Amino acid sequence: MAIAAKVIRQTGRLARPEQADGAREMAGSAILCESLLREGVEVMYGYPGGAIMPFYDALTSYPALHHILVRHEQAAAHAADGYARATGKVGVCVATSGPGATNLVTGLATAFMDSVPLVAITGQVARPFIGRDAFQETDVIGVTQPITKHNFLIRSTDEIADVVHEAFQVARSGRPGPVLIDIPKDVQLAKAFYCPPAASASQQQTGDDTAPSPYLMTRAAQLIAQAQRPLIMTGHGVILSNAYEELRAFAEKTSIPVIATLLGLSAFPDTHPLHLGMPGMHGPAHVNRAIGDADLIIGVGLRFDDRVTGKVSEFAPHARLIHIDIDPSEMHKVKVATVPIVSDAKIALAALTEAVQPADHSAWLNEIRGWQRENERRQRSIRREKERPDPASILSAIRAATDGEAIIVSDVGQHQMWTARFYQWTRPNSHLTSGGLGTMGFALPAAIGASMGKPGAPVWVVAGDGGFQMNVQELATLQQEGIALKVAIMNNGYLGMVRQWQQFFHQRNYSETPITGPDYVKLAAAYGLTGMCITRGDEVEAAVKRAMETEGTVIIDFVIEAEANVYPMVAPGSGITSMIEETAEEDA
Amino acid sequence: MTEITNQQASIDRPGHSDAPQGAERVYALIILVEDRPGAVDRVVGVLRRRRANMQTLTLGRGGLSDSSIVRISVFVSDSEVGIDHLVEQLRKIVDVQRVVNLPYQQSVSRELALIKVSSTAENVNAIIDLGTLFGARVLEITPETITLEVTNSEESIEKLVVLLQSYGIRDVARSGSVAIARGADEND
Repeated sequence: MAIAAKVIRQTGRLARPEQADGAREMAGSAILCESLLREGVEVMYGYPGGAIMPFYDALTSYPALHHILVRHEQAAAHAADGYARATGKVGVCVATSGPGATNLVTGLATAFMDSVPLVAITGQVARPFIGRDAFQETDVIGVTQPITKHNFLIRSTDEIADVVHEAFQVARSGRPGPVLIDIPKDVQLAKAFYCPPAASASQQQTGDDTAPSPYLMTRAAQLIAQAQRPLIMTGHGVILSNAYEELRAFAEKTSIPVIATLLGLSAFPDTHPLHLGMPGMHGPAHVNRAIGDADLIIGVGLRFDDRVTGKVSEFAPHARLIHIDIDPSEMHKVKVATVPIVSDAKIALAALTEAVQPADHSAWLNEIRGWQRENERRQRSIRREKERPDPASILSAIRAATDGEAIIVSDVGQHQMWTARFYQWTRPNSHLTSGGLGTMGFALPAAIGASMGKPGAPVWVVAGDGGFQMNVQELATLQQEGIALKVAIMNNGYLGMVRQWQQFFHQRNYSETPITGPDYVKLAAAYGLTGMCITRGDEVEAAVKRAMETEGTVIIDFVIEAEANVYPMVAPGSGITSMIEETAEEDA
Repeated sequence: MTEITNQQASIDRPGHSDAPQGAERVYALIILVEDRPGAVDRVVGVLRRRRANMQTLTLGRGGLSDSSIVRISVFVSDSEVGIDHLVEQLRKIVDVQRVVNLPYQQSVSRELALIKVSSTAENVNAIIDLGTLFGARVLEITPETITLEVTNSEESIEKLVVLLQSYGIRDVARSGSVAIARGADEND
């Protein structure tokens, strides 16, 4: 991918002598806008300030570039991230130098961990002031170096177009990721000749589409043919490479059960007979047990995160691994792959489907389903009706009211795990969440981006009362832009996931986890939005229905049971087959 | 095609984080990066973030006639799997053109050292003789000091420094090692 980007820069230079025909002299800020248009940018999220003012000045001459004014730069990065996740396009966010740029950091780190293509544009103090502790100067290149795929400090106006195109190429190619462009104010103001590149850059190839070697395919097919207890594990890579059909064809031809990681949810329909569920720390017991018993794992576009594997030496101890990932540095990182396939998931799955013979693994699947039924029976026996709204029924009410067509953006914490577990995912790429970094406050701004990227789909934010308050200022962005989201707050008056850990591992020492919040009905009203407060389980369905019927943004404050827990749970550092299960006494 | 045995399936991860003690060896990594702002920074950043056990790191112009390439030579001690992962991570840096991983035995490495030793009229010849054994040449002689220049392996330079200590060393400037592949191949 790096090579592809280099080629473009070189040929770009060759094809564009300084004063070629059709070149116009323009300010750097206008060249920046032109280049963004060339890349197919429609919307960007940002916040103006001193060092980025020339760009904002030029922006009014480019009405095709829709700019959304957020209330905090962190939200700009998350909104661009949500837009990118929902659409597969590169998200764009803009901030000024210094505090504007540093406020982007959490959002960039979030996108970096989850391989989301972003381009962040930051203003920088004028070149003569760089390195002199000027007002609002931060070495943002240094600050963001470990959390971006690449970053650029533009040194002269005639570099702008090339750098912007290279930045988009780097962001979207190979394993996608965030790229930052830092532009000094005087570079934005100075003039240079701009000649539009011949081909629209957005039409360029996004990655390496060469098929994996036939030898690896044969070897993988041989392993698959030998396997008695195989499993497919899918991650974000399947969604990023749009490989839903290929995954389904492969699973159906081989009849191998499918496990989806948190970021792989919705890549394979939950209603499919081969679908098993989510693995790892909060995965259902039968999924983790299946991993413990499997003799072959075909991992597609996942990186075997520690929340998935638990204690690595006890993860899939009997399984050989066929690992498909576009990033060579993921191979053998956590678990040694017997067949490492460095490839785009879509291409590899198509080739692998060709290479394998149809097989029948119904005995293995039935065994897993047996464990599943046993667990579910046990859970039903200890479940009692509760007065408070129950997280699972909130999620099924949302699904019922939207026919599964909604995009669900969850925040981070207990509600995130409930959402992953209890929502039935059928629409591809309908689940957006901050998986790798676990960024509280992600959901509301990311949902703004998702909703703008997929204007037809209802977008639901599911958040805890803690995370929602982290970027609650973005309600004003909704108000100003007239964006309609539906928000379900699972309000337990605690930082619930931390409280749960305190309950299990710190003897219920609830240190700094009880948390208050505003009256969300009044808060909604203050922003001109609709609010509801639901305290009884039997009101859930009607409330969700009413939210769907109400125009504009609706915030529902679901006051759930204060000490509800996410079950089952694997203690950190333990093997995933030893789980903490819900017991009858526990909830008494 | 050979049958894949079950033993292969249950290899304990020999990765860098839980590599068994004593699995580390020294590798010479030659990293060719484009001379762009921050390029060297990014390489060093990856080494730092991975807590790579760096022994020496040197920078210089690389390539034959292309002055836009910087050649970074870094000697790292790690397990084989750890090094392979490090190499793949370095390859992901956009500015990096090429990474060559040379196990120590397959590389020739040299370091340059300038050593300033206290000397008198009586012992100056002995110091020069000692230096000559290590291929050193004399850069400067003053009534009180003699400065030697030596290019040799890291080990030989260390030996020479130890031997010169009895005369009193005023200062040592060492360049760090640079490496090249043994044999006719061009690095790999």
